Amino acid sequence: MSDETKACSLPTTGEPTATRSAAPMWIIVTTLLLLFLGGYYFDLHGGWFNAKVYSPYYSAEKLDAYQPQSGAAAALARGKRTYEAVCGICHGTDGLGKPGQAPPLAGSEMVNCAGVNRLIHIPLAGLNGPIRVKGQDWGLAMAAMGAALPDEDLAATLTYIRSSWGNNAGPVTGDDVKKVRAGLGASPQPMSGLQLLKMPE
Amino acid sequence: MNPTENTTSRPNELEASLRVPLLALFGGAAVWLVVGLGLGLIAGIKFHAPDFLGGCPLFTYGRVAPAANDAVLYGFCIPAALGVALWIFARLSRSPLALPLVPVVAANLWHLGVFVGTAGILLGDSTGHTWLEYPRAAAVLLFAAFLLIAVSAAATFGWRKENPLYPSHWFLLAALLWFPWIYSTANLFLNSNQVPRGVVQPIIAWWFANNLVFVWLALMGIGTAFYFLPKIAGRPLANSGYVLFAFLTLIFFGTWCGIPQSAPVPAWLPVLSSVAAALTLLPLLAITIVTWKTVCGAGVACKGGPFCFIRFGVLCFIISGVLYVSAACPQYSRILEFTWFGTAQTQLQLLGFTAMILFGAVYELLPAVMGKPLPLPKAVRLHSWLGTAGVLLLVVPLVLAGMAQGGKLADATVPFAEVNSAALKFLRISTTGQLLILLGALLFAANILIMTIQWKLGLAKTVIAYIKSPLETAPVTLRSGAGEVKS
Repeated sequence: MSDETKACSLPTTGEPTATRSAAPMWIIVTTLLLLFLGGYYFDLHGGWFNAKVYSPYYSAEKLDAYQPQSGAAAALARGKRTYEAVCGICHGTDGLGKPGQAPPLAGSEMVNCAGVNRLIHIPLAGLNGPIRVKGQDWGLAMAAMGAALPDEDLAATLTYIRSSWGNNAGPVTGDDVKKVRAGLGASPQPMSGLQLLKMPE
Repeated sequence: MNPTENTTSRPNELEASLRVPLLALFGGAAVWLVVGLGLGLIAGIKFHAPDFLGGCPLFTYGRVAPAANDAVLYGFCIPAALGVALWIFARLSRSPLALPLVPVVAANLWHLGVFVGTAGILLGDSTGHTWLEYPRAAAVLLFAAFLLIAVSAAATFGWRKENPLYPSHWFLLAALLWFPWIYSTANLFLNSNQVPRGVVQPIIAWWFANNLVFVWLALMGIGTAFYFLPKIAGRPLANSGYVLFAFLTLIFFGTWCGIPQSAPVPAWLPVLSSVAAALTLLPLLAITIVTWKTVCGAGVACKGGPFCFIRFGVLCFIISGVLYVSAACPQYSRILEFTWFGTAQTQLQLLGFTAMILFGAVYELLPAVMGKPLPLPKAVRLHSWLGTAGVLLLVVPLVLAGMAQGGKLADATVPFAEVNSAALKFLRISTTGQLLILLGALLFAANILIMTIQWKLGLAKTVIAYIKSPLETAPVTLRSGAGEVKS
C-alpha cells in the first residue's frame, strides 16, 4: 500500500475493520458438549422421528404398551402381565423353569395337552409330590398360586403359557377355570403328579 | 455509469448514487412505521375500551392486530434494512451503487405490495398464517421487489473495489439469499392453489415465522450493528473468529427453531426445535462477547445519537434471544405458552432490536448520503429517549403479564375471565409504551420527510436555474444532485 492510496482512502471511507482471530477453543468445545447433550435429550424425548409418536409420549414401544387391545390379543397381553407377576419368578419369563426349583413350561406335556382339565388343577389346587416333565422327575411343592386370581385372569395366563415359547395349544376359557374351581370345593388339597394323571384330560 | 471504469470513486458520486433509492425506501418505510404503530395502538386500545371502533369491521382486533404487525415488519423493518444494506454494500465496496434505478423501482413496488397487503388484511382477505397474512397479490409484489433490490446489492458487491470481505458482508449477503428462499417456499406451500393438508400447514408457517422474525432480522440487524458500532467507536470489530462462529451457528441452529412445545405434531419436531433453540445460546453468547469487546471502553459519548440506538438494539437482541430460548424450554413453555410472553418477545425483536438499530443506522447514514445535516437534529435525541422508554414500557409489562397469566392458567381453580383481567393492569402500561414508540416514530418520519421535501425543492430549484440560465454557462450539472447545489 502506498501512502497515496492511504491518503486517498482514509478521509473518503473510514470503513470499519475487524481484528483477525480464530474462533477460540473453549466455545467450540462448549458447542460440542451442548450438541452431545442435545442429542441425549433428543434420544430420550424425540421418539426417533416416528410420525406416530406425539408429545407427551416419547417412544414407539411405550406407546404400543398404552394402546387399548381387544379380543385374543388383549387376553394374551393380560396373560403375559399376570404370568410375569405371578408365575415368571420361578418358571422364568422365558418359560424354561429353574433347575432344581421349577420345571420348564416350554414344551411341557401337561401344558401342551389337548384338554385343559389337568393343567387348570395345578395353579388352583397346588402341587405336592413328584411330577414328570420332559422325561425328568421333579419332587417339589407348588402352592396354589392361581387360587386367588379371577377366572378370566387365570384363563388368560394359561392361554399365554400354552401359546408361548414354542408351545402351540388351544386357549383356556374362563368357563373352563370356573368349572374346575367349582369341582375343587372351598379348600382344595395340593395334588401329586400321579393324582393328576388319573384325572380326565 | 460503469463503476469499474474508475479506480477510485469520489465519495460524492458514491453517496449521490444512493440518494434516490434510499429516500424511496426510507420514506415509505417511515410512513408504514407510523401506520403500523398507529394500527397497533388501535389494537391495544381495544383491551381498555372494547367498543372502540367496534362497529367498523375494518378495525376489528382480528384484522388490526396482524395488519399492524405486518406493517411494522414488512412496511418498515425490511425496506429500511434493505436500504441500509445497500448503503453498507456501496460503502464497503468503495464504489457507487450498481444499477441505481433498479432499487428505486423495487422500493415503489415493495411499498405498493405492503399497501395491497395491508388493505387485504383490513378488508378481511388475510391468509390466516402468522406473518404470512398478506394475500397472494401482495406476496408476488414483495417477492419481485426483494429480488430486484437483492440484484442491485449483489451487483454492487460483485463490482467492489475492495476485495477482502468484512463480517457484515456475511450477515447481509446471507440475509439477501435467506428471504427469497423462505418467502417463496412458504408462499408456494401456503398461499397457492394446492395447499398441503393438515399438520404440514402450521409446521411450514412456524418454520417461516421463525426464519423471518428470528433468523432474518438477526442477520440484518447484527450485520448492520457490526458495521456501525466499530465505525462510530473508531476501533476495529473485536475477534472476527467469534463473529464467524456466531454467524455460522446462527444460520445453522437458528433455522430449526420455532415449533412450539405443545404443537400437535409428531414429538420429534418440537424436541428438535428446543434442542436447536438451546444451541442458539452459543451465537448469542459470541455476539455478546464481540459487542462487549468492541464497545466497552471505547469512550463514545453518544448522547442519544445513533450509537445509543444501535447499542440498545444489540442489547435488545440478546435479551430477546434469551426470552426466545427460554420459551422453547419445555419446563417454561408449559407455563408461558398462550400468554403475553410470546408477544413481548416478538415486539422486542421488532421494535427493540431491529427498529432501534435501523433508526440509528438511518440517522447515521442519511446526512452523509444527502450531503447535509438532518433537518431536526434535536429530534434524534428525543427519539432515542422515547424509543428506549417506549420499548421498556411495552416489553417489560408484557413479560410480567405473561408470567402472571401462565401461573394463573396452570391453576385450575382460577376462572378464565380472571386470568385475562389480571393481565389488564400490565396492558395499561404497555399501551403507554406503544404510544411513546409511536411518538418517536413520528419524529423519525418527520426528519426523513422534511429532508425529502427539502431535497426535492432543491432539485426543482436546480432544474429551474438550469432552464433559465444561458446555454454556455450552465451552472450545475443535474447528475450531481441537490446536495451540492448550495456548496
